[in-house]
Amino acid sequence: MSGNGRGAVTRRVREPNEAEMRALGLSTGWTVFSYMISGLVAYGAIGWGIGKAIHAEWPFPVGMMLGLGISVGFVIYRYGRMGALEQGRDGRGRVKGMTDDR
Amino acid sequence: MIGDVRVVADAAGGCHLFSGCGFPAPGLQNFNFKPLFSVGSFHFTKPMLIAVLCTVIVIAFFWAAFRKPKLVPRGIQNLGELGILAVRDQILRPSLGRKGDVYLPFLVSLFFYIFLMNLMELIPVFQFPAMSRIGFVVPLAIMVYGLYLYLGFKNQGAWGYISNMWPRGVPWPVYIILIPVELLRFFIIQPFTLGIRLFANMFAGHLLLVIFTVATWYLASFTIGLLFAVGSAAMVLFVFVLELLIDLLQAFIFTTLTATYIASALEAQH
Repeated sequence: MSGNGRGAVTRRVREPNEAEMRALGLSTGWTVFSYMISGLVAYGAIGWGIGKAIHAEWPFPVGMMLGLGISVGFVIYRYGRMGALEQGRDGRGRVKGMTDDR
Repeated sequence: MIGDVRVVADAAGGCHLFSGCGFPAPGLQNFNFKPLFSVGSFHFTKPMLIAVLCTVIVIAFFWAAFRKPKLVPRGIQNLGELGILAVRDQILRPSLGRKGDVYLPFLVSLFFYIFLMNLMELIPVFQFPAMSRIGFVVPLAIMVYGLYLYLGFKNQGAWGYISNMWPRGVPWPVYIILIPVELLRFFIIQPFTLGIRLFANMFAGHLLLVIFTVATWYLASFTIGLLFAVGSAAMVLFVFVLELLIDLLQAFIFTTLTATYIASALEAQH
């Protein structure tokens, strides 16, 4: 009995256990790491291309910094503001991609 | 005096402190092996032997464990069930739930294969983690990522999968800024980091073990170096135990990330 009087659907909602939290944390951690590297490399490459086109060296480091800034900003927006754990949950509070039939 | 020390060091054999030959620093040469045999331009090396042996051991172990399964498990079946249940409860179910049980054979094979390949660095005679050669890691990462993409396209459809790839709830101008980042992350960086972490950990771990082992041998002489040799030998033991943990941990992380990738590819179904 859940004790909160919200019926059968609510009883199916449960907190993730330790192993689920670990899997979610691992996945989130590596996604964040991938975003950091991707921003740096993607905008670094764009900056390098622009630098080649205009025969200047400055667009490459500027692109890398810009990419890193975009990645950090997006990671803060996605995982910081909403919370890393909440990001992995669906509308009913369950861990995303997980069903109650385990 | 120094001359006397040199005589003693030379008598101990090999390259030692004050013997004048310098520290034989380990490096990339410790990861390259002479071929065991060659067939034309194909050279069969020690890492290949380890990879073949690990495959055979994993297959033979599970075949022996479940060849004639009993309702009440005994002997090797006990051990096999223990391994399978560990992967199921600690790796598969937390990410995929009961519906993911169909992927259990794949994840069990992957986990034990990687674990055994890593563990080979601590087993005498072999003493080399095959996963410290990137040629063994890249095909595994490509296989896992290929499965991830295949399942995603199969279960969510091409458009559904691509649209799910993008973060939701983001203003449209931000989408334009994120396009290069997302494309690079999804198709290159994510599979790259999946493989490179396993490779780098095994490479660094093996190098660390070799450095302290060679240093112990190099410092072992009838000089003050003997004191440092004892310290270096203690580090060998410490790194050995640490590597045992890392071997297990890296197999666990690779398999867990594989399970979470499969889960996200199947997500639309849940």
